[in-house]
Amino acid sequence: MVTLTIDDKQVQVEKDATIYDAAKVAGVNIPILCHDKKLKPFGACRMCLVEVEQMKGRLIPACTTPVTEGMIVRSSTAPVEKARKLVLELLMLNHPLDCPVCDKGGDCELQNLAYDHKVNANRLSDEKFHHQIDYNNPLIERDQNRCVLCGKCVRICDEIVSRGALTFINRGIETKIGTEFDGPLSCEFCGSCISVCPVGALLARPFKFKSRFWALQKKASVCGYCGTGCSVTLGVKDNKVLTTVYDENQGFHNGQLCVRGRFGYQFINSEKRLQSPLVRKNGQLVEAGWDEALNLVVSRLKGAGNSAAALATPRMTNEELMLLKQLMTQQVGSANIDHSAGYAHTALTEGLFKSLGVAAAPSAITDIQKSNLLLVLKSDAYETHPVVGFEINMAVKNKDAKLHILSDKRGKLAKLPNATTLIHKPGSEVALLNALAKVLIDENLATAAASVAGFAELAAGLSAFAPEQVADQCGVSADALKGLARAYAAADKALILFPVGLAYPAHDAQLAHAAANLAILAGKLGKEGSGLLVLQEKNNSQGAVDVGFVPAAGGMNAQQILDGCVSGSIKTLLVAGENPLISYPNQAKVKAALDKVEFLVVADLFLTETAELADVVLPVCSYAEKTGTFTATDRRVQKIEPAISAVGQSRPEFKVYGDLISALGGQAPVTPAEAFTQIPAYAGIDYASLKADGTFASVAIKPALVLPVAPALQVESGKLALLTGAALYHCGTLSQYGEGTVAVCPEGYLELSHADASRMQIADGAVVTVASANGSVKLKARVSLRMAEGVVFAPYHFASSAINQVWTGAAVTSVTISK
Amino acid sequence: MPNPFTPIIKGMKITFGHLFKKPVTLMYPEERPKVAERFRGLHALKVSHDKAKCVACYLCPTVCPAKCITVEAGEDANHDKFAAKYEIDMLRCIFCGYCVEACPVDALKMTGEFELANYRRTDFIYTKERLLEKK
Ligand code: SF4
Ligand code: SF4
Ligand code: SF4
Ligand code: SF4
Ligand code: SF4
Ligand code: FES
Repeated sequence: MVTLTIDDKQVQVEKDATIYDAAKVAGVNIPILCHDKKLKPFGACRMCLVEVEQMKGRLIPACTTPVTEGMIVRSSTAPVEKARKLVLELLMLNHPLDCPVCDKGGDCELQNLAYDHKVNANRLSDEKFHHQIDYNNPLIERDQNRCVLCGKCVRICDEIVSRGALTFINRGIETKIGTEFDGPLSCEFCGSCISVCPVGALLARPFKFKSRFWALQKKASVCGYCGTGCSVTLGVKDNKVLTTVYDENQGFHNGQLCVRGRFGYQFINSEKRLQSPLVRKNGQLVEAGWDEALNLVVSRLKGAGNSAAALATPRMTNEELMLLKQLMTQQVGSANIDHSAGYAHTALTEGLFKSLGVAAAPSAITDIQKSNLLLVLKSDAYETHPVVGFEINMAVKNKDAKLHILSDKRGKLAKLPNATTLIHKPGSEVALLNALAKVLIDENLATAAASVAGFAELAAGLSAFAPEQVADQCGVSADALKGLARAYAAADKALILFPVGLAYPAHDAQLAHAAANLAILAGKLGKEGSGLLVLQEKNNSQGAVDVGFVPAAGGMNAQQILDGCVSGSIKTLLVAGENPLISYPNQAKVKAALDKVEFLVVADLFLTETAELADVVLPVCSYAEKTGTFTATDRRVQKIEPAISAVGQSRPEFKVYGDLISALGGQAPVTPAEAFTQIPAYAGIDYASLKADGTFASVAIKPALVLPVAPALQVESGKLALLTGAALYHCGTLSQYGEGTVAVCPEGYLELSHADASRMQIADGAVVTVASANGSVKLKARVSLRMAEGVVFAPYHFASSAINQVWTGAAVTSVTISK
Repeated sequence: MPNPFTPIIKGMKITFGHLFKKPVTLMYPEERPKVAERFRGLHALKVSHDKAKCVACYLCPTVCPAKCITVEAGEDANHDKFAAKYEIDMLRCIFCGYCVEACPVDALKMTGEFELANYRRTDFIYTKERLLEKK
């Protein structure tokens, strides 16, 4: 600790603190423009100048100068004020000062500083800047005339996003922030640069001229896309969500968001939102009142028993899932309930449940930056959970964590400094993890686990998984595997991460066993910064598991329910928020089921492809309109409150299912708060004190070693291996209604290697037909460096080019490609 | 004791004096008043280069104490900001003139127009078209 004096106040701070940090502790406000708590000190603007007794004769920038013992700092003497004023005058010399038409007005650091320092005239005069304004992309407007060259955008894109899309170009007065070859910005569109820009040089185009900052109500909420569970602030005006507002103090991620969270909000007030219930009459869906629609549903559900079934989306709140579960199991008397196609949650419900005794991952996202070694299974973890990806970037770049990636394709994470990537053949991840486990056992790196249940069986069962044996079949050298196992065992704190979701059928219970085995064997559980993290697809995937929205005893799972629809044993199907026709594998099978089932009820925000087939469509609310809780992937329970009132006649599902329960003679909890207390997994959490940032529910583990079954996967000779997955800009099918996300990634594509492309003479952007034994689909080819020869990749979100016409749920599908 | 007739004479003097002065009463509506230059009557949006000068900065609706101004900005073909909607509810306006004072681009003024009576409430909503300065 170092003691120093700032404006006559004595403070004690860590020895690596800067004067600015110390001033904060002392409660002294030093103005800043280029400094940001999330970024490394830079010292570009000289707003933070202070006087230091020991360094007389010049002014010292507080944000870059480390403290020393006995320092005496004065933050607002006459020379300091004079210098700051001059800095501002210089900054505004070439600045357009077009605040009336600048969206940053009211939220602008330059405005605020000019006001604070009473800079109402300029002693200097010069020409204004004449940079061309960049309107070349749909999301970010870049007006370099307003730029103050603080470098925050450049730094955040490099230090946190690790994209490096922006940089300083030219020198002196010509300096500006440029892109690659000064061309149009082409990047991840996470908008991090906009969020930190102190002025109006970077602005969100979807929000352009929509409102003034001061006229917005700022409502804290939780992003409704992926399981990362980022806190967001919604900017609301006239009962409409107009934008997301940056709050650097929000959540574990300090306000960082990905493209979906920042720009995908438009679905909330989309014109496509359903305005009223629809009922099918004479073959047509026509508008109807709530009573009529609900009565119809009640008449179908009454006494339906096991001939009824429900498929729900893990985007619903915990309380809504609770109610729907109660409705189906108690009032209707059906055990047939499931979510996520029945398999996307099995890594938890079966995998970790057997391996760790609890259907939840033991580690938290905040462990990433505390870890020494990160083992990421599938480079897609970045695309599926970008803000988790930011944490990985920071762990590697700032905290010196080692990054090992085991994946069937390359990805952005592989480009991080010192990342080691082992590219394996598609579908061989379990065999590889088994080989790693075998190395741990054989090399006596797992002695601590010898007493764990199942050790002997595992050791015996792994006999066929020696690295030399699996090397060829998996396409990874035995030495590399041994090296990885040793590095993993040697790391003090090691964390394994892998994504799960509808598009990742290989990430199932077996993979969860295999990953858990490694963590158990090497003794990595139960330590901070160490263990296992399963990245779940949807905002409430963990909640759906915790609530137990899975088949009740003797019930059918999602796939069996669909089969039941075809065979006739399921007569009434309630689909709550899922869009199986697009997102579940095997479109033909889903279509047959939905066509066949006697009565289909769909509750959704939109008339989705699935809803178009329904007999009754119930319009329900988005996350911005309801109350309840979501549980993020690391069992962080987060509360949401309505930011706007319900759109059209839509109702929160909590009310819809509550009404159905009452109509069927049951008693439903009256408020979400009451429903919350009935969730056993969250016993001990006080609903009233929950916030958007969340509270961790406990995960008590009881490790057991389970022998994972490695699937035998073979790609038919002469064919390519098709992998499904998620695109960075999308999450499930919901993002199809978020205009921002669609603007930058409008359609499906097929990613293939240069080798395959040149062999088949397929040009980048050409439309190709992908065919499997089950069907075919036309996709735009994207020739990329990510793919290995013989492996192609397609994201699954898109209705217009649904990959499930080809893919039937296999981890790897053999396909042919023709022009 | 002062002369009791003095005040009466004084008063009569004033009365007689007025007999020979121009009358103050206006025969409205045949006769029209000439309002002062600083009179705060109906607003007008100033026009320059055939366009409203207003850049839809939202300062006037922000400052308006009666909350009677509605502005909605739009983006024109040159990506510039303009008032796609500009409306004043004259039933609520208190003619304080703060809006004129707040305007950073001198796009708004108050005219001498004071005859604002009308039959329907909706007629008091002055849209952008109605407010544009008449040349
Ligand atoms: S960046 Fe700030 S100072 Fe510059 S025009 Fe915009 S609001 Fe005004
Ligand atoms: S949007 Fe994100 S990726 Fe793109 S330049 Fe900004 S910070 Fe970088
Ligand atoms: S664009 Fe904004 S964040 Fe980037 S250097 Fe300029 S002022 Fe700073
Ligand atoms: S989509 Fe996921 S990572 Fe992106 S902002 Fe939302 S919760 Fe965060
Ligand atoms: S203050 Fe002036 S420029 Fe701004 S909205 Fe009102 S009239 Fe238009
Ligand atoms: S804030 Fe210290 S130099 Fe910019």
